[in-house]
Amino acid sequence: MKTLYILTALGVIAMLAELFRFKKFLLPIVLIGLMGAIASSVRDWNTNIHYYNYMMTFDNYAILFTIVLCVTAFLWFMMSKDFFGSESSKTDHYALVLFALCGAMLMVSYSNMVMLFLGIEILSIPMYVLAGSNKDSLASNEASLKYFLMGAFATGFLLFGITMIYGATGTFDLRSIGITLKSPELIQVWRGAGGTTLLYSGILMMLIGLCFKISAVPFHFWAPDVYTGAPTPVTAFMATIVKTAAFAAFLRLFITCFSGLGNVWMNTIWVLAGLTILLGNITAVYQTSVKRMLAYSSISHAGYMLLAILAMNNHSVGSVLFYAAAYSVATIGAFTVLSIIEKNFELASVDSFSGLAKKNPLLAFAMTISMLSLAGIPPLAGFFGKYYIFTSALQSGYVWLVLIAVLGSLIGVYYYFRMIIKMFSSGTGEVTNIEISTLQKIVLVITILLSILLGIFPDMVISLL
Amino acid sequence: MMQSFTNIMYVCQQSEFIFMQNTALDYLPIVLTFIVAAGFVVLVMFVTHWLGPKRRSKIKDDVFECGIEAQGNARIPFSIKYFLVAILFVLFDVEVIFMYPWAVNFKDLGVRGFIEMGLFIAFFLVGFYYIMKKGALKWE
Repeated sequence: MKTLYILTALGVIAMLAELFRFKKFLLPIVLIGLMGAIASSVRDWNTNIHYYNYMMTFDNYAILFTIVLCVTAFLWFMMSKDFFGSESSKTDHYALVLFALCGAMLMVSYSNMVMLFLGIEILSIPMYVLAGSNKDSLASNEASLKYFLMGAFATGFLLFGITMIYGATGTFDLRSIGITLKSPELIQVWRGAGGTTLLYSGILMMLIGLCFKISAVPFHFWAPDVYTGAPTPVTAFMATIVKTAAFAAFLRLFITCFSGLGNVWMNTIWVLAGLTILLGNITAVYQTSVKRMLAYSSISHAGYMLLAILAMNNHSVGSVLFYAAAYSVATIGAFTVLSIIEKNFELASVDSFSGLAKKNPLLAFAMTISMLSLAGIPPLAGFFGKYYIFTSALQSGYVWLVLIAVLGSLIGVYYYFRMIIKMFSSGTGEVTNIEISTLQKIVLVITILLSILLGIFPDMVISLL
Repeated sequence: MMQSFTNIMYVCQQSEFIFMQNTALDYLPIVLTFIVAAGFVVLVMFVTHWLGPKRRSKIKDDVFECGIEAQGNARIPFSIKYFLVAILFVLFDVEVIFMYPWAVNFKDLGVRGFIEMGLFIAFFLVGFYYIMKKGALKWE
């Protein structure tokens, strides 16, 4: 819980950094603060404390996801230093990102629907602004507006769903709703009174709102444009932290609340997951812009993680956590390389990477590891992420969906390997001068090490839950 | 059986409305209110057009601006500062609204509530200081 206080204080400090002229020390302060936040959440391990009349629960689930979020944010601040370094409004961007991180923390530790809504809003509003932070670029402005309009609609759906569930159960408390929906006596009473209509529409409305946030397929149309238009570091933030937080919220809601009513929403998620995996992967094959390809690949990864929510057994929490960690690390690595390459090209295509292995082996190696991890090649982290998710789905008997997912991964291998082959081909190499700052080098090395370590010792994370 | 009984007891404590057996039919009054509200607007608009006499003249159709004669076009570009001040006003206005529930429950919330509210006010004073230093209120 102190983690939230630390993050909020960091946000305020970042906001005031320009006024009190300690802008130079802001990055070290933020990095130390994030380390403090991680340490304080580790100290809360196994305490399971409730806060504010059961509005928030800082249990092990919340702590693990908070740690994943904070570590990703730590890497993110190191990789994005150069990008925001030149701008005068850097401190504002730092503050916005830190406040978004507070929202993400609420989303992983809520135990009340009101807190879920607040968390999503606190996370989303800074993201709308950050998507448009490249004020001179038309694409960035468009991304911001599109994200805002679509996000506002999705939040409307979510809020409407929450109201309906409140109307049906009379409470916002996740645990009470869960117990109510699990007891057959109460459901029977409701059926008699015809009160289930409200409840079922409420569940489906909340499902729509959350599927928008994770960009599952029928609600994914905003994602490619927003990911491409937003500045690359912001895209990295959206693809990692926002997605992890949204999945943690999704999983928590459906496991504690709606697991008793699987017959209402499981078929819907089955179709959503299948469509997301197939459409995300197939569309990614046809992209020439690397950023857009990563956007579609991020959509398809949302589909894999939906499998774990569908499985709804005691392995699903661990597998989503592991997948989110592996995916975030690999994505941060890929976006770091992309942002370095983008200094030479406005919109980096796959061809811009040709011959990179000769020019800069570190960049090429980091990108290769990230791509292999995203594709799910053993022994990297991404492989075990997929492995755990598929086994947990198989245990619950979703054989056909797992087959679709494996097919999707095979398509994925094609476009991830296209990048790798391009980098190692003896192309002319359009990249002329590459400057990598020390911080970015550190980020690249950390992502490589984490991808390999998580792949070799997956039990480290999985056994925690 | 015992387990499910305790579960239900817990639910009853958490939510007192649980046995009210809400149905969609219970919300009929709300729907009726909406229909009446919308119907009233339509009715009044129709009735005023139908009942009111129509006497037009040049002076009567003129723009009425506090008795002063209107000058020029209303659709001129104006400084964006106005928009910024309006947005900031709305922000701080919303924050002030949170003081009402505190004022109503001032004694019940006690010292803890006072500290929490002090923290809240401190936060938005930081915001106020920030916008002042950023020059958002400079009208040049």
